[in-house]
Amino acid sequence: MKELLEFQPQNHDLDLLRIARLRTAMQHRIASLCSERALLVTESFQTTEGEDYLLRKAKAFAHTLKHMTIYIENDSLIFGNQASCNFAAPIFPEYSIKWVIDELDEFANRSGDVFYVSDKVKEDIRSIAPYWIDKTHEDEVNRNLTKEIRLAEKQGVLHRGGISMSGDGHIVADHEMILKRGFRSLIEEANEKLLLPNLSLESRTFYQGVVISLEGALHFIKRYATLAFEMASNEDDSKRKNELLLMGKSALTLMEHPADNFYQGVETVYLVHLLQSIESNGHSVCYGRFDQYMFELYNRDLKLGLITKEKALELITHFFLMNNSHNKVRPFGHTQFSQGYPLYSNLMVGGRKPDGTDGSNELSALCIEAMNLTAMAEPNFSMRYNNDTPRDLLKLAAKLVRTGCGMPSMFNDDVAVKGLIGLGIPLQDALDYCSFGCVETGVPGKYGHRATGMTYVNWGKVIELVVNNGTDPDSKIQMISLNGKNDSEIEFDSYDELWNGWEKLLRFYSDIAVECDAICDRSLAVYDADPFASCFIDNCMELGKTLKNGGAKYDVISQSNIGPVVVGNSLAVMKKLIYEEKKFSLDQLKEAMKLNWQGSSAAAVHKLVRHVPKFGNDEDETDEIVKEVFESYLKLLPMYKTERTGKGPEISCYTMSTSNITSYVPNGLSVGATPDGRLACSPLNEGCSPMQGTDTCGPTAVLNSVAKLPNDKVAAGQLLNMRFAPGALKGEDNLDKFVSLLQAGLDMGIYHNQFNVIDSKTLLDAKQHPQNHTDLIVRVAGYCAQFVSLMPEAQDAIIARTENKW
Amino acid sequence: MVNKQNNLPTGMISVVQRYSTQDGPGIRSTVFFLGCNLACKWCSNPELISSQPSIMHFEERCTRCGRCVETAVDHSIRFEGKSVKIDRENCTNLWECMIACTQDAYEEIGVKISVAKLMDKLVRDKAYYDRSGGGVTFSGGDPILQGDFVIEVANRLRKNEIKSALDTAGNIAWEKLKPIIDAVDLVLYDIKAFDSKIHMDCTGVDNQLILENARQISQSGKDMIIRMVIVPGLNDDREDIRNRIKFILSLGLAVKQLDILPYHNLGVGKYARLGLTYTINPTLNFDPEIKNEIIAMVAGTSVRLTFSEF
Repeated sequence: MKELLEFQPQNHDLDLLRIARLRTAMQHRIASLCSERALLVTESFQTTEGEDYLLRKAKAFAHTLKHMTIYIENDSLIFGNQASCNFAAPIFPEYSIKWVIDELDEFANRSGDVFYVSDKVKEDIRSIAPYWIDKTHEDEVNRNLTKEIRLAEKQGVLHRGGISMSGDGHIVADHEMILKRGFRSLIEEANEKLLLPNLSLESRTFYQGVVISLEGALHFIKRYATLAFEMASNEDDSKRKNELLLMGKSALTLMEHPADNFYQGVETVYLVHLLQSIESNGHSVCYGRFDQYMFELYNRDLKLGLITKEKALELITHFFLMNNSHNKVRPFGHTQFSQGYPLYSNLMVGGRKPDGTDGSNELSALCIEAMNLTAMAEPNFSMRYNNDTPRDLLKLAAKLVRTGCGMPSMFNDDVAVKGLIGLGIPLQDALDYCSFGCVETGVPGKYGHRATGMTYVNWGKVIELVVNNGTDPDSKIQMISLNGKNDSEIEFDSYDELWNGWEKLLRFYSDIAVECDAICDRSLAVYDADPFASCFIDNCMELGKTLKNGGAKYDVISQSNIGPVVVGNSLAVMKKLIYEEKKFSLDQLKEAMKLNWQGSSAAAVHKLVRHVPKFGNDEDETDEIVKEVFESYLKLLPMYKTERTGKGPEISCYTMSTSNITSYVPNGLSVGATPDGRLACSPLNEGCSPMQGTDTCGPTAVLNSVAKLPNDKVAAGQLLNMRFAPGALKGEDNLDKFVSLLQAGLDMGIYHNQFNVIDSKTLLDAKQHPQNHTDLIVRVAGYCAQFVSLMPEAQDAIIARTENKW
Repeated sequence: MVNKQNNLPTGMISVVQRYSTQDGPGIRSTVFFLGCNLACKWCSNPELISSQPSIMHFEERCTRCGRCVETAVDHSIRFEGKSVKIDRENCTNLWECMIACTQDAYEEIGVKISVAKLMDKLVRDKAYYDRSGGGVTFSGGDPILQGDFVIEVANRLRKNEIKSALDTAGNIAWEKLKPIIDAVDLVLYDIKAFDSKIHMDCTGVDNQLILENARQISQSGKDMIIRMVIVPGLNDDREDIRNRIKFILSLGLAVKQLDILPYHNLGVGKYARLGLTYTINPTLNFDPEIKNEIIAMVAGTSVRLTFSEF
């Protein structure tokens, strides 16, 4: 049973034993595939041939909701299931199906993210696959991909990401509006719109789709009423019986009108999320600012004596745990980019309100406690903070960080808000920002799909191409030459010339990536038409448009650029050693890189390369170059338009993000040794974090280096990941210092920061492979030190000590 | 050492340890100085005892490429086991061997640094000091052996509104120590034994000056944190521990905190890296009776007591 961080229950409303049981059930979940949705969607599509695609999707959605298996999890106070059993991933054949068939017998044998598939499910999926040949979103994208995009993919520069074969996701519904109105009110609004004269065909189908989808959702909710009553009649335990009766009663009318109370509110936001995840398979369907939009109901119930804090904590914890029953299956190639069954369902607490005052409240603290009790991957829990965030709340968050769950990730209000204002978003809306998955930010209820991660661009590969005259050493493909010759030989007379080479290739590949985004986007506009998700976002209902057709008030997208620090460090090395100190020529450096730094002379070059200061050590010269790398991309962005610019959104543009999930690992696999001293095939740097193993001056130096970047212009999120050993946060004194470090991050203008508090297993690995763990900070004899700098016996002592839990 | 151009002293340090959390209050940057005039048998920073730079050899990084073996004069480095064996007495060009090594298996400890350059490093973390009530700690080695440099840096820190602390054993004449104490805001003071024979046996020096300086500091109005290392079999005589505590308590209100530092062996590996021999082998178990007695003695006083867990 988990212990609470600080909360002291005053009554028996918080059943920790039951939470432990529910958590165990979620932890022992087995990932599998579920064929129900695939069968039902296919069945529906077969009866709607020839109709408008949006209506076909809406009807398939409603048909699925009407016939899919439903169940209520034992012990859970929250109902709603995504597939026929816990952690089963539904199949979305309308987006792509070929890979599912190709990998059907391999899902269970994967090296990671394994899925169990029963023979029945295999048979089901194979039975519907023929219907979808050439009819999916993926097929449409493939029909339109240009030769350039395919070549750039072969070189390893571009990776299309999920958007070429699944839904878009990255969305935060206007939960406040939903709680205040209910689905019925939105149906009525859509029906009124349908009475308007001169309605365009696009709008007409949209409103019809909204009605079909919301009616389907309301019917779905009512199915749980029937189920709950049935289960109650068979339940012997009187407490559980009453709970089931209450759930059933609630489900009878839920969302027919505004949410009645806090419990209904929690159930509603969970169901909206669930329904979005049945309508489309885009991930990063997020909860936004839960503590803000739920506070009114919570506070009212508390004052009226309808709920206790303990009960509220129990409900939130059940709700959090239930998120771990959802799943998504991706092709193996994509899985490498996003390992660990992630859904990125972000839930955010804290931060300023639209009026500028700090909005943190009792619910913020309860959510932190609930996340501690949950201690699982979902929801992806994050926190906003600023100079008015109570230190006690920060300390509570630090206590959660200390448990090692890696959450919450921390967002600096000032920098994130400034970033959105820079895009033209009004202050009030910018102040209401939240995460749209990982580190990407947007305005809840007003942003279209996709704050980030359209096409992935491998900057590590781009710098490799720069020093090879555009020729990829691996595939030998040359799409562009820097000196006009068709081989990899190149000389740069000066650092400026080298820099120009970087800018030229960056522009070349960014252009192709934007074209790739557009191809995917045009296809998604049809295949990811999602009236259910759209009707909860401004201004879709007003304009009669889906998000992908320009319904969103703000429509800001970004790619994911991986490896800016590898690029900056590489340029810094070449600047210093080739052009300033003239220690060797570019050819000599390339020769050593080709040998992966092995052998006597290559090793000597490698030593010189290693000794050039790297980003993350608060060394101005290198940090400045990394900053210039960021700026070289930022200055391209105003040239790029989205598919929806001028078609509805008040603001629609490109911005930058370094949110790159686990893609820095597979992207590194296709890149040879780089001038920064990185070994061939090893990972690139993560987000804007220093290159693994090169930051040796501790956390303040890392923050100082990152502070020099144009963080407030990376408006879709600047990712920084730091690691601490548990001992470094042990005890009150150390915790206090950690909180001060967080606060200093505000002064330094850091965008975002997340912390890994490392377990013994990692420490053991750090001992074996110190080169991969130089950023690991541990507390030693009266001070904090870099773990790998310690003697083996000291490392042993620390490994032994961290086995003890506090 | 004096810089001829502007008459500013230069310092000889090993590293600036940033995000230092145990050398005084708040988040700190700790500057480790070279040179010490004690020779504590348990010293966990043997690379800081000499006032001159030394070269450490990291066996685990060695790939037996042979470059240092070839470079060393008179066969003073030869292959042995998974790495090499260095005959430090006869290897008069170890520095060249370090240059020759491509694996960074040799590392020079000790770098000459100007006041300006050190200041540039230290002020960079001001936001963290300010948020946490931290600052800079001078440690080592014993920084008081580079008093002029410490004073200059401390004065500049003060101008930048950064607090500083001195971590010292206090073994120099009071006239030399006083101006350093005046320049800093807090003193972390080591008392390794009360009995002068025990002190002599363990550190090679008498402790009369050290104890007298402790009294002087306590009367100077500076806050003190006393640090008491306890090494089983060497300075854990119960009577001496009692006397040390009595002495510490007699220093009055200047003493804000007493840190008990139980023996640890975390520095043992450094001896091999420096070609030195570690001579002691005490138990790592800290006698709980001693702990209880210390708690009882300090209870009721204004002194905050901490036990380091290393």
